[in-house]
Amino acid sequence: MSIQEQYRKRAAELLASGEVKIIIGYGAGSTPDRRRALFIRSADDASLLHVDAACDANLSGYLVSEGLLSDRKKVGIFLRPEGIRSVNILAAESQLDPLQIVIIGFNVENGSLAALQGSGVNDFSSLISTLKESRSTPEEQALIEKIEGMTPEERFAFWQAEFSKCIKCYACRQVCPMCYCKRCIVDNNQPQWVHTSSHTLGNFEWNLVRAFHLSGRCVECGGCDRACPVNIPLRLINRRMAQEVLDAFDHFSGMSHTQEPVLASFKKDDPETFIL
Amino acid sequence: MTKILLRDRLDDCISRWHAAGLDVIGPVSKNNISQFDTIQKAGELDFGIILPDRTLKDLFFPQTEPMFRYRIGKQQIDTEEYLPPGRQRIVFGARPCDVSAMAIDDPLFGWDYKDTYWFKRRTETVIVTIACTSADEFCMCTSLKLAPDSPQGSDILLRPLEGNRGWLVEELTERGRDAFSLIEGLLENATGDPLPLAVVPVKFDLDACREWLQNPENFESHFWKEISMRCIGCGTCTFLCPTCHCFDFQDEGDTYTGIRRKNWDSCSFALFTMHTSGHNPRSTQSARWRQRIMHKFNYFPGKFSLNSCSGCGRCTRECPVDMGITETLQEITKLSK
Repeated sequence: MSIQEQYRKRAAELLASGEVKIIIGYGAGSTPDRRRALFIRSADDASLLHVDAACDANLSGYLVSEGLLSDRKKVGIFLRPEGIRSVNILAAESQLDPLQIVIIGFNVENGSLAALQGSGVNDFSSLISTLKESRSTPEEQALIEKIEGMTPEERFAFWQAEFSKCIKCYACRQVCPMCYCKRCIVDNNQPQWVHTSSHTLGNFEWNLVRAFHLSGRCVECGGCDRACPVNIPLRLINRRMAQEVLDAFDHFSGMSHTQEPVLASFKKDDPETFIL
Repeated sequence: MTKILLRDRLDDCISRWHAAGLDVIGPVSKNNISQFDTIQKAGELDFGIILPDRTLKDLFFPQTEPMFRYRIGKQQIDTEEYLPPGRQRIVFGARPCDVSAMAIDDPLFGWDYKDTYWFKRRTETVIVTIACTSADEFCMCTSLKLAPDSPQGSDILLRPLEGNRGWLVEELTERGRDAFSLIEGLLENATGDPLPLAVVPVKFDLDACREWLQNPENFESHFWKEISMRCIGCGTCTFLCPTCHCFDFQDEGDTYTGIRRKNWDSCSFALFTMHTSGHNPRSTQSARWRQRIMHKFNYFPGKFSLNSCSGCGRCTRECPVDMGITETLQEITKLSK
């Protein structure tokens, strides 16, 4: 039985037995190479589910949709390892109870699909530990090194050119599981902290605010980067900030559902290299 | 005898237009995005793309625009108005869907109040449209009763000739004729066979959709919740829509001095209809998606006898979660049968 068939069967069983009230998975998209979020409530619909290498969206953001978890019933969800890390962070930040989440995990390695064993967040701890040690792809690394190698002026010009494309559609925010704030700081206008205009200054402000807010929280699922309709390489910012937090605090986001938020907690032995 | 514009004459045409004081604008692919940009040479134009990522409305209704500067003194309030720069422009190589969208928005911007910014730019711009000889799976102009060679909004329509050598010229307006009189002598008096137009299948029944949308019973249909469940509420579909025209005013500065700007806004955002009291009449994403569809295919045609959609397909092409107008209207077509 293919992995997809196994997973359809598992989803059907979870719904038929009443263990979960809904499955959040992937369905066919508008073109053969597209997959889209699919919400199914009946075992009969499990045959509509798809699991393959094209399933790249991190669906965990749908878990914190208003009211979904408030009845304490369980929800099944298809997640890649990054999505599982997102669930850990959402739990650590008191946005959900991990006991309500039944994970149907899978991974895509070198373009091929692999099943993941387990169903609760704790079942994936050792897998996430190995991810901490894995490095970025050679192409990504080359691009990061290229940007690191620039002078501050060149780097500023690079990001200025990229951010000048921003149209403030907030697709990066809306697609991000970590952007669950009921009212984002940019939507506050008493006072107006951040310019809402999408001129270059406003675009810099928005993207920098987001970069800092996601430091130590982003799992690098790449959702913002794929969502961006004007193709700003947002993954580079998040990768750099993740590395910064890893180097300074040995913090790899989403290791467990009890992990303390790194920039919202204090330890006596935290490095204080910023104090001159 | 018809007129032909040969591709290898385009640089000379651009020089003539420049000499006459026109800015030349066209589809340019640069920095990982395609959009309308000012050009100096024909080589900068990207004729390989079906449609630029960004729309033609950028040229008439920019994403952010200063309207005036204000200074509030003890005795008086001083203001200084900003108007568009007032350059004569020629857009070369827009597509019929994008250009039709400008014609769709004209009555909107000129209805109760004539929008100075929009019409100043509209009258300063000549649009040269190239008929489509290829389409992708998201194109849907024919579903909106338009076509790959719709003339609405265009001053000149060009039909590509075989072998990529140039275009058959159709002069549609006085403004178009004036702009092309500047390149008299660079056009050939000849005939040629235009390439066949792109085949764009009809994807939904527009009249049936309108009828379904007009039925008040369907306003609270569960359909709206189902179809929009995966919508994340970003502004991609509205901001990359050539006809979406909603905007917001923002004062940048402090109480006494600053700039009032006109910025794009989107009915997809929760904040769009948020009242000062905290009450939001469109409190769910499904209500917001319903509004978008109702506006385009029910309210707008009710007022202007035009659909607020020209079938470019960008909403589906660019949607981060693979939604879009096509799917929604296909489903409504099924429901109405």
